[in-house]
Amino acid sequence: MPKLLIDVIDDVGNCLLFVREVMFTALTSPCSFASICEQIWTVTLQSLPTTALAGFFVGAIMTVQFTLQITTFGALGYLGGLSTSGTVREVGPLLIAFLLSGKVGAFTSAELGTMQVTEQIDAIRCLGANPIQEIILPRYLGIIISSFFLLAVGLVMSIFGGMLLGLVFSGINPEEYVRHIPTIVNKFSVANGMFKCLVFAFLLASICTYKGYSARGGAKGVGRAVVSTAVLTMVGIVVFDWLTSLITDTAMNVVLGNS
Amino acid sequence: MTATLSDFFVYSTRTFKALFQPPFRSKDTFQQLEFVTWQSLPVIVFCVSFAAMVTIMESSFHMKLMVQNDSLVPGFASLLILRELGVVVSSLLLTSRVGAGLAAEVGSMQVTEQVDALRMLGIDPIRFLVIPRLIACTVGGVILSLIANLVCLYCAMLISELKLGYSSGSFLTGMRAFVSYKDLVFAMIKGGCFGTVIPIVSCFFGLRCESGAEGVGKATTNSVVVASVAIIVMDFVLTYIFSHFY
Repeated sequence: MPKLLIDVIDDVGNCLLFVREVMFTALTSPCSFASICEQIWTVTLQSLPTTALAGFFVGAIMTVQFTLQITTFGALGYLGGLSTSGTVREVGPLLIAFLLSGKVGAFTSAELGTMQVTEQIDAIRCLGANPIQEIILPRYLGIIISSFFLLAVGLVMSIFGGMLLGLVFSGINPEEYVRHIPTIVNKFSVANGMFKCLVFAFLLASICTYKGYSARGGAKGVGRAVVSTAVLTMVGIVVFDWLTSLITDTAMNVVLGNS
Repeated sequence: MTATLSDFFVYSTRTFKALFQPPFRSKDTFQQLEFVTWQSLPVIVFCVSFAAMVTIMESSFHMKLMVQNDSLVPGFASLLILRELGVVVSSLLLTSRVGAGLAAEVGSMQVTEQVDALRMLGIDPIRFLVIPRLIACTVGGVILSLIANLVCLYCAMLISELKLGYSSGSFLTGMRAFVSYKDLVFAMIKGGCFGTVIPIVSCFFGLRCESGAEGVGKATTNSVVVASVAIIVMDFVLTYIFSHFY
């Protein structure tokens, strides 16, 4: 047990050092704009169908559950606002981060791990280039930026899915569904969701590039890196979900000045 | 795409047929059950307890927005936890842990031709590899959804006592008013269904893995993505079906 604890602390420390190195590289010798755009294009296009599908069904699930709960209060008119608010503030960023960790995180760490194991990264270093600048940084920034695009698509699809199920399941017509969205979802909710998305994307990019870059020991090592990326990002996302909720809660209380 | 789908249907019918044919490999099944349930338990308990705290805080926010006080928070939060949160979060975690592990394991067996060796010995790889994992994951999904729900409710009780100032008695009273025994049974059914999907999908991608390290990585990624999307879609279908029984 103490050894496990030390291993965990070691891993976290190494990861933070790696992030520091990436940040340092980003500030001193940034990579070309074109390579970042290429990564954004790849990541976004890769996960667009999955995100859209998942977002649609998440909106549908939220609508069904909220309908069951609020019909007892006779507040069915608020259905659209409530389920959209829940999706924008909390469920949307969380689910998109989960899907990204499965899709992009696992893919990136497998790719980087294979590069590391087959000594392609050493070859880049031999050619006098900085592998962090050439390979890691575009992926890192690409994941962070494209997660916002994916969040937007997922949220729009979730509103659409919620609207459809509101029509089919709970008998709310689309105008009624949309009418209460602006009254309940304010700009703080959107800012909260975007802040969460930024934090999750940062976490995901750090873990998957670190795990891939530090993979050792052949094909088995790559497999280990992929599985540990998937597990670690999930755990990290849930923990940081709580942390960001706490931070935004406190910040909102300070800004609005109530209790 | 269509070829993959038809392959998948053939493979899953063969799996379900093999499910009822002896010999049953009970020793391997129990080993897999230990891997799925016992070894995933710490991660799932940890994550679910954090998810419970977030649920309490978010539902308190929405309650204050809607009806100006948060007296209904215990009921709503326990309803959300029992119906959706506990089982979905634990199955998504199970996908990334067990599903990715299974796809990597079966995929590397396929790449190193161990699956072909099994076939040459006259052993059906589906019956030998997939069935024990399928049974173990289904049973493990039911057990884990039960444990995850209990831990989640307990943490929600704790945090509502510490942060919102409800005593545990009033939390339980509020909970009893909103949820019933049925909800726990439905959650366990959901857990079993999600637990069935994970090994079927990951062994499917593992068995048709292309050669090389890249193939194993691709199989792992695909299995995690397809299983998570399948879980969300199935969750919607099951929620829709169960909504007629509440």
